[in-house]
Amino acid sequence: MTWLSKSTAALGFVLLTHACYSAHEHSALQSHRAASLSSSSGPTSSLPIDIAIETFVATFVIALGLVLGTSQLRPIQWRVWAGKIEREGESGFTNSSGEVEKDYVGNPFRLLESRPGFVDIRKQRKEFAAWRKETSATA
Amino acid sequence: MSSSLLQPPGQLPPATALKLSEQAPDIYRKQPSGSASALSSLLLTTETQESWTVYENLFLSCLRTGHDETAQQCLLQLVDRFGEDNERIMALKGLFKEAAAVDDVQLEAILREYEQILEGNPTNLPIAKRRAALLRSTGRAVDAVTALTSLLDMSPTDAEAWAELADLYLAQGLYQQAIFAQEEVLVLQPNAWNVHARLGEMLFMAAKTSDAPKRLAEALKRFCRSVELCDDYLRGYYGLKLTTQQLLKEPSGKASKQVESEDWSLPEVSTLQKLDQAATEKLAEIVRRNSAGEKGWQGYDAAEIAAAKELLAANATPTIH
Repeated sequence: MTWLSKSTAALGFVLLTHACYSAHEHSALQSHRAASLSSSSGPTSSLPIDIAIETFVATFVIALGLVLGTSQLRPIQWRVWAGKIEREGESGFTNSSGEVEKDYVGNPFRLLESRPGFVDIRKQRKEFAAWRKETSATA
Repeated sequence: MSSSLLQPPGQLPPATALKLSEQAPDIYRKQPSGSASALSSLLLTTETQESWTVYENLFLSCLRTGHDETAQQCLLQLVDRFGEDNERIMALKGLFKEAAAVDDVQLEAILREYEQILEGNPTNLPIAKRRAALLRSTGRAVDAVTALTSLLDMSPTDAEAWAELADLYLAQGLYQQAIFAQEEVLVLQPNAWNVHARLGEMLFMAAKTSDAPKRLAEALKRFCRSVELCDDYLRGYYGLKLTTQQLLKEPSGKASKQVESEDWSLPEVSTLQKLDQAATEKLAEIVRRNSAGEKGWQGYDAAEIAAAKELLAANATPTIH
């Protein structure tokens, strides 16, 4: 959620709260008038149109704010999504603040080639130690 | 930093793994510990879904780089949280012991421990996998194959085990069995584009030893499928180009004789040429865009790009001046 979308949604909520409060005040005023007039009251006036308009506008502004705050939509077609992973790597799956999204796992099938359940830890240690020696020798 | 901790560490380049292991004490301090009382862990939990994945990957990374004390601390946290009897934790403990073992006698002892655990609970899948991995690591390939086949008898839908079996057979040169096992992986995960490419590569290698036209045709199909499943797949197009070139080199007369008898068919020469051209164009585009530094084309592995460049250079038609 960017700051723009957050502020828009907040503004919408303020408007909505104001509209709801106005409507509550209106109905309280109605009942007060009806109670103070001993004779039969006139036709009750319906909700003033500006409160109704304010409610609609507030809802619209909230919806706009929320929609502006959605992250970039991901591809639906398998090959497009797979291609995006292969071509862009993790930089293609960042959210609005630039961090990689938490549920991005890269190519989910690469585990079938790296097979972490069968990891040969001794070989990995030896290879790492050899790499270490090589880089410290050249450095 | 944290995104690389969510990936299994075996694939990280050694420099990244070293950096992670050195930062381990800081990461470790920031993560929650499992030993707080039940009430406070309910109310004050900072534990997320990723916390324990981070711990596990940190453990594996430290074992790889040789930071054994940090690895032990991670392991103790995991044991505290999940208990001693959790199957995955048992496998991680076994992994730690394997890494710390200094000679064959200790490895034999670990192997006997695994077998003991399996006698008590034959369905302990992580331990069964560790046993097969240890057998392979100590060079007993035939025993490893037996262990894997018994694992697969118990649990035939484990794609990782089939993939390991295929790799084991390939290392021994048993192409027919390796191809069969790899096809089983595809039965379980039909949309895995990298597995299709791997099978294509296996078939291409096997075609050098025997049965060339049929295997090359099959390899062609596999590479085509991998490219269908993933746009701009470098490995798929590379394999496609190699296979079409190999098929175009072979004399067509020999191949057409076998076509009538078998239930497979070799594509027409024109189709092969079109596929070759498409693969060449695509490889050229990928190499060009990646080398130009275009945003959105930088996810490729540098070694693969270099190999593609070499292939294109080796086959470039010489221009006549």
